[in-house]
Amino acid sequence: MSRAAATCGTTDSRPSDPVDFQDLEEERLARAALSRLSEPGTHRLCTAVANLGGIEVRERLLNQSGDAAEREIAARLAAIDAAAELDRASSIGVRFVVPGDAEWPRQLDDLREAPPLQDRGGPPLGLWVRGPLRLESLAESVSIVGSRSATTYGEQVARDLAAALARDGRPVISGAAYGIDQAAHRGALGGRGTTVAVLACGADRVYPAAHAELINHLGQTGAVISETPPGGAPMRVRFLGRNRMIAALSRGTIVVEAARRSGALNTANWAGRLNRVVMGVPGPITAEQSQGVHDLLRLGMGTVVTNGADVLELVGASGENLCEVPRGESTPRDRLDLLGLSVLDAVPVSQPASTEAIARVCGLDSGSAAEVLEDLAHDGFVERVPGAGWRLLREVSR
Amino acid sequence: MPVATSRTVALNGAAGHLIDVQADVSQGVVMTTLVGRPDPTLTEGRDRVRMAVANSGFTWPATRRVTILLSPADLHKRGSHFDLAIAVAVLGASCDAFPADALQQTVFLGELSLEGGLRCVPGVLPMAMAAARAGATRLMVPEPQAAEAALVPGIAVFGMRSLAQVIAELAGREVPEAPPVPAPTSGRLLSWRGEDRADELDLADVIGLADARFAVEVAAAGGHHLMLSGPKGAGKTTLAERIPGLLPDLSGEEALELTAICSLAGTLDPAGGLVRRPPFFAPHHDASRASLLGGGSGRVRPGMVSQAHGGVLLLDEFPIFHADVIEALRQPMESGEVSVARGEEAATYPARGMIVLACNPCPCGNYHPAPGKSRCECREVQRRDYRRKVSGPITDRIDITRHLEPAAPHDRDDPFAERESTQAVRARVTAARERQLERYAGRAWRLNAHTPGPALAAEFAVGAGADRILDDAIYEGRLSRRGATRAHRLAWTLADLWGDDRPEQLHVQVALALRLGEPVPGHVLRRACGVAG
Repeated sequence: MSRAAATCGTTDSRPSDPVDFQDLEEERLARAALSRLSEPGTHRLCTAVANLGGIEVRERLLNQSGDAAEREIAARLAAIDAAAELDRASSIGVRFVVPGDAEWPRQLDDLREAPPLQDRGGPPLGLWVRGPLRLESLAESVSIVGSRSATTYGEQVARDLAAALARDGRPVISGAAYGIDQAAHRGALGGRGTTVAVLACGADRVYPAAHAELINHLGQTGAVISETPPGGAPMRVRFLGRNRMIAALSRGTIVVEAARRSGALNTANWAGRLNRVVMGVPGPITAEQSQGVHDLLRLGMGTVVTNGADVLELVGASGENLCEVPRGESTPRDRLDLLGLSVLDAVPVSQPASTEAIARVCGLDSGSAAEVLEDLAHDGFVERVPGAGWRLLREVSR
Repeated sequence: MPVATSRTVALNGAAGHLIDVQADVSQGVVMTTLVGRPDPTLTEGRDRVRMAVANSGFTWPATRRVTILLSPADLHKRGSHFDLAIAVAVLGASCDAFPADALQQTVFLGELSLEGGLRCVPGVLPMAMAAARAGATRLMVPEPQAAEAALVPGIAVFGMRSLAQVIAELAGREVPEAPPVPAPTSGRLLSWRGEDRADELDLADVIGLADARFAVEVAAAGGHHLMLSGPKGAGKTTLAERIPGLLPDLSGEEALELTAICSLAGTLDPAGGLVRRPPFFAPHHDASRASLLGGGSGRVRPGMVSQAHGGVLLLDEFPIFHADVIEALRQPMESGEVSVARGEEAATYPARGMIVLACNPCPCGNYHPAPGKSRCECREVQRRDYRRKVSGPITDRIDITRHLEPAAPHDRDDPFAERESTQAVRARVTAARERQLERYAGRAWRLNAHTPGPALAAEFAVGAGADRILDDAIYEGRLSRRGATRAHRLAWTLADLWGDDRPEQLHVQVALALRLGEPVPGHVLRRACGVAG
């Protein structure tokens, strides 16, 4: 496919202009054909189609007459019946959403500017979608990703965060994998919110197989999205392309648990490239499953979040959902100045002491000490014991 | 025949000793003496027996000197069940009521009433076990307790109603009529609606707490001690009460042991036969040391820790139990038995139940480490004292530590949450216990939790590379030597639950996390309930 993409080139691209599609349905057919032809997420093809449009790229590929490889690609593309592809997809409840559709999630267009990662990049040719959710509602979404071999701690945190986002009306995006992914989906469902799975395989397939029930539930209540056409297998490289979509679809990405080589860090990396908010949930410093997150945070690539409010503050519009600056509990002593504190420290707890004795302990003259003691008595810190001096009041003794 | 010897049993804890009761009736100063270290209940028996003999239509040798010797003489003897043996011995020595050889290999148990009727006594089952082990072939017991004694194989049990019936049986005559013997008085006088609530508690009703549910399953499978901590209302008690339901019925041997303990404690239902269901005890935090560990005035009664043998002892809010009670739990937790020493008497009872401790994070139960979540009103000193009680030597003997957080509404509404029923989990626990029974056949223990450390090291090692995990934890100072042994046992239980031949790295890792109260890999939970992923 790299050969085909090389042919279209990007020399006359107009990165700043969105493509204006004359005929949306023809564009859809062209993109469907290209989607079937190519490996999903290939940077050069995706970028070329984003800049030139699917129809143009299809024409160029069909008409190339160079070496044997180019002719083979052209013949393969010509053999694809895109209309039949779309009909087949439709018959199993999968629609193909392309730019120009009202529900096209425009935030994906940010991928045009982002540099590729492992040759994956560019906006997807289109999205194969199963489920009732209209994709424009993902504008406010947040993705939660993490290790497949998560601990119960990570899963609990993922569930709690997803539920908090759901209660705020934000869709939760994840990948339907074991561990953190499934916990995020379940938390969002438990919080009575919407949640979306982005798969590496076709949207009609279930991977992992053990999550068939979960993925089908999402297909009925939310959405299952893939850039791989129906029937496509969950091949390894497709997860890299899938990760860029999770990052691009959402306003921010939370990494809950990730070991050093976790795919979740790839998603976080994409989120960073796309100027999305990258968030990390810390874990025990001894836990392997949190090392990747800690590295991410240590390198300044993400912000620590510990609860739903933290996340909402970061992903909301500027000034929205601001958290209170956390502070320790304030005590009456906090209001005292240094002089007051030093005199108060010199007042004994049970046996009263004279003004002179107290002044001696805190190194003041008796006059100043008496003045401060009067103030302290007025504020309820100490009491005067007639004939004996001063002592601490019980309530402030601890 | 001036001398006759009958036999009975003296109990010292759960151990029974065969006692010869010899009566000598001869010329001399008219009096009746009882020698051989009897205690007051036995001395009183002398008067009971005398009246019972007279009122049964026999003649007490009132004009002779009667000497009754209980031997071996150095053994301290206690209880009212000696009455029958004394009466038989005296009658054997004073009149020819029955042939002399009728007393051979026969053991007599029973208290006498003044009319000559028999009365029930506690501890018939362990005494019958001791009699059978000592080679006796016939056993005469009060009629209501014949079924209990008959649980012991290899001994013929005769249920009798009166002294007259016993003598007739010994003489080979027709047994006369007698009024029935009242059942033991410790029977249930009070019952109330919902007292069998524990039977209806199902694990399926517990929301969330997936991690703790897993811990409870592992604990039940291997008989491990468990500590559940968490704020008020997190579900500690809810979960702990459901543990007995996860346990399979007791095996024949275990059931016999437990029934013997119930018999000693006087709580055995005479009509119930062997106690098959694992017991559950949840004493109040004000419980005394004697009630929990054994003791009491008079006879050393088995405490709740023994009565929960093969079952579950739940100490809810354990840091507010009396300090001496908590300390005294060390021995049963470590060795599976409890010794109560008093004067020169030392009784040892088995105590191989699971001990489940539940505790709050602070005295008021509202403390929470997360910022803004704590509603605790305790003072720092109180919290520190409380924590010190929690982290004492007892917790080193706990195999599994879990912290519970209250389930959130989104846990309740999670459509994919695992809500397995008690029945489903019990099936796995039963399978895991069967694997252990098979592996430990012919040994002195049945469950992983009771496998001695040396045996673990020599015969039941973990797989290659897995032992490194424990060693590393010891080097890092996260684990004591005792802790490593306990984690090793836990690893075996995990292997048994999952049907693996022996513990490998994953088992040991999970065992370590359970022991240290750290999170376990999430997929392990789903593996446990048979769901991949």
